[in-house]
Amino acid sequence: MVDDMKLTFLQESEELLQQMEDALLAMEEAPDDEEHLNSVFRAMHTIKGAAGIFGYDFIVSFTHPVETVMDQVRSGNRSVDSDLVALLLECKDHTANLVQTVASDNEDNVPAELLENGCEILARLTGEGSENNSVKGATPSVAGASSPIEAEPQKATPNDNWVIALDFKQDALRNGLDPLSFIRYLQRLGEIVNIITFTHDMPAANEMDPETCYLSFRIALHSDSNKDEIESVFEFAVDDCDIRILPPHSKQITYLELLEDVEPESVQRLGDILVGIGAVTQQELEGALNEQEAIIDEAVANPEQKVKPLGEILVERNVVAKPVVEKALKKQEDNREKASRDAQYIRVDANRLGQLINLVGELVISNAAVKLMVDKYEIQEAQEVVAGVDNLVEDIRDHALQLRMVQIGDTFSRFRRVVRDVSKELNKDIKLVITGGEAELDKTVVEKINDPLTHLVRNSLDHGIESPEERLAKGKPAQGVLRLNALHDSGHIVIQIADDGAGLNVEKIRAKAEAIGLVKPDQVLSHRETLRLIFEPGLSTKTQASNLSGRGVGMDVVRRNIDALRGTVEVDSSVDKGTVVTIHLPLTLAIIDGFMVGVSGERYVIPLSMVEECVEIDNHQLDEQRSYVNLRGDVMPFLRLREFFDVPDDEVGDHSDRRESLVVVRFGRTKAGLVVDQLFGELQTVIKPLGKLFQGLKGISGATVLGSGDIALILDVQGVIGLASQRGGHKQGLVDHA
Amino acid sequence: MAKTILVVDDSMSIRQVVSIALKGAGYDVIEACDGKDALAKMTGQKIHLIISDVNMPNMDGITFLKQVKASPKYKFTPVIMLTTEAGRDKMAEGKAAGAKAWVVKPFQPPQMLDAVAKLVLP
Amino acid sequence: MSIDVENNNGVCRVVVKDEMTIYTAAAMKTDLMDQLTRCDELEISLQDVSEMDSAGLQLMLLLKSEEQKLKKELRFVKHSQAVIDVLEILDLVAHFGDPIVLPAGEAQ
Repeated sequence: MVDDMKLTFLQESEELLQQMEDALLAMEEAPDDEEHLNSVFRAMHTIKGAAGIFGYDFIVSFTHPVETVMDQVRSGNRSVDSDLVALLLECKDHTANLVQTVASDNEDNVPAELLENGCEILARLTGEGSENNSVKGATPSVAGASSPIEAEPQKATPNDNWVIALDFKQDALRNGLDPLSFIRYLQRLGEIVNIITFTHDMPAANEMDPETCYLSFRIALHSDSNKDEIESVFEFAVDDCDIRILPPHSKQITYLELLEDVEPESVQRLGDILVGIGAVTQQELEGALNEQEAIIDEAVANPEQKVKPLGEILVERNVVAKPVVEKALKKQEDNREKASRDAQYIRVDANRLGQLINLVGELVISNAAVKLMVDKYEIQEAQEVVAGVDNLVEDIRDHALQLRMVQIGDTFSRFRRVVRDVSKELNKDIKLVITGGEAELDKTVVEKINDPLTHLVRNSLDHGIESPEERLAKGKPAQGVLRLNALHDSGHIVIQIADDGAGLNVEKIRAKAEAIGLVKPDQVLSHRETLRLIFEPGLSTKTQASNLSGRGVGMDVVRRNIDALRGTVEVDSSVDKGTVVTIHLPLTLAIIDGFMVGVSGERYVIPLSMVEECVEIDNHQLDEQRSYVNLRGDVMPFLRLREFFDVPDDEVGDHSDRRESLVVVRFGRTKAGLVVDQLFGELQTVIKPLGKLFQGLKGISGATVLGSGDIALILDVQGVIGLASQRGGHKQGLVDHA
Repeated sequence: MAKTILVVDDSMSIRQVVSIALKGAGYDVIEACDGKDALAKMTGQKIHLIISDVNMPNMDGITFLKQVKASPKYKFTPVIMLTTEAGRDKMAEGKAAGAKAWVVKPFQPPQMLDAVAKLVLP
Repeated sequence: MSIDVENNNGVCRVVVKDEMTIYTAAAMKTDLMDQLTRCDELEISLQDVSEMDSAGLQLMLLLKSEEQKLKKELRFVKHSQAVIDVLEILDLVAHFGDPIVLPAGEAQ
């Protein structure tokens, strides 16, 4: 049984039993007080109900007869005397003992003497044979039309029920939801064997807002439906209700059996396995993944934070029982092992792999063309086929890209040696901690990240982590720690290099930046902005350069390398605490999210990550003379793509009042504007490298073929900005001279 | 007592399909052809559920929804929005305005009845 | 006023004349709580409750718990079918402990 639902049961029972005891003691004084009678009755009734939901039969079979007796007393068919009160107190104590077995996790193994004891008490209470304790209550039928309705069908074995916990949020009613509707609807799926209503948070009458929802329900449902079907009953309530659905015991076994049969042919992700066997619904999985994502976001900010595994989150959320997750993980591990045992590696020429990926790219494009045509001519019969091919092509593309994915762990491990050697050489004591080595990314990216990574690691070893004496003097452990961490974050890989060293001295950076004219003395920069300056050329904080990391010329190279991979790099540091460098990289270089623009009939793609904004502009906003544009006070160079690429004008006449758009692109700290005719929006494109002949071209990094068969050039934003500012500077220079 | 449902859609055929299905399931139905018409027909009688299209002339579904949520008599009435696959971006807007459920067009009557029954049983 | 009140020697008989739903809950809570604090014994007739939703049910639960706190006596009588339906589906008949009369023809 899942722990916190169990806890609710335990707390609830404890409270009720206390109330029962109080009421019983009060009854000794005033035996006929109806309120006390009710209180005792309710305690037994509610505990019985809750126990039934959780499948604690031994509690049900004891409390039910007691409840029946209380009902007799209430309806006046049995009188209250001190003997009965004493007996009822015994019942209360016995119930408490039974509940205790649940608290100590012994519910599957209730001591026999305890049960015998219960029979004995019941025998005295009911005056009947002890074998009667499991017989359903013989509710006394009161003559006349006023017979009480006991609506408690307990036909199914309690253990075979779904347990559904619904905790409605305060605004549920105001939002137009009626919890009753969902419960009524639930009856369509099966039989509500038991239901308890809670009003836990209902305040005193004067504070109670009748439009606020205070209701919670625990429902035992006997149904053959699967979890998805049950969950869908509450699909409209998800925002206004905490919903937990626990499968019946038998289902648990089914899940475990299903796990046995999970095909070992492919290594699946845990979530997919659990959804596949129906133990977790897609929605539950997404909820858990979102939670994990939030944790990852925290982890990005704080490398010490442990990222909780998905299985743990799912169990914590009461979505699935622990044994199922454990089994699934084991299965996954087995499959992985089997896969690696069976795996026969084939060495493949990287060029051939590259060729395959290129061909797949072509296939994606051709497929898009086919789709366009089928849509254009509305060929109904073909549409389904095309959709099928589309899915296949997508799969092929993903798998092809997967072929080039390698774990980053190997790259990280290489630094063990570096750390060891450097520590020795510098007489430092440094430990390397590697985490997230299993994160995968494209081999071409891994190759290119090696150099910047080496640089950053050496920087940390050399400038970051202090000598043991210095560290001890600062009250830090003599051994310094360098962490390398990798994790996936929404289509990107995040690599972190963190040390617990001296940190960066912001004042020194600032002073140096001013000295070399990078910033003006009156310029206000935030902590982060100042730190970012270390990526500027010519900045070194160490006056004495070592032969390891040089004079700081490396950091700007690091950033250039990472920019070239369409990644970003950030640094955070605090004095004497350490420095964290965080690199975000796309998982692959073969596909980019692009932004398509047009000049006359030509199409160009700008990497989306570099697009800041798009604005429509009038011609007179541009300073054609100096090639500068003033955008809300922000002055930046601009470049007409038409002129840059010499695109012939297909319009005739005067175009001084033509509407054009300005795409603001950013590269590092530099911004520039690109003037285009049309904006087409975002698209995903497969990058095709240019032929050898064109590789020296400035301003173009590749090309892509569009679904229509047209070719679009992918702009090399860095190159374009460089050219734009050069050109602007050149013109400006001329103007100044004149 | 039969529950009353207000169906708002500018397409008469959709209104008819929905209304026949609902009546068959035991609901009372009021029909309106756009937001304005619907507001005019909401004269204080009890309405248990509103099913409304998003794109309508005169007054669109979102505006109508906002008006409903602002009226003291009907502010608690649950609203199901009808949307097309393409109108998915409207969902966030509708949700913010207080729509509880969405049914994507084209739909089969049982699908609609299912959604309705989760909010209001006949 | 959504309720009819008849006061008789500290015994107060109230007939709820409206549906008990989120739309009526606010006003009804004030009225019924007034009655409960005012008299020692309160009998609430539900025969005219044409409709009841969760808000209406919450109101019944509130009154029931206040009954004990204020040491009053509260009875719900003449439950309408709408009320019986709610109490039955949530298995709350015993919680309230009021005898419920099944409408003629539907009694088992």
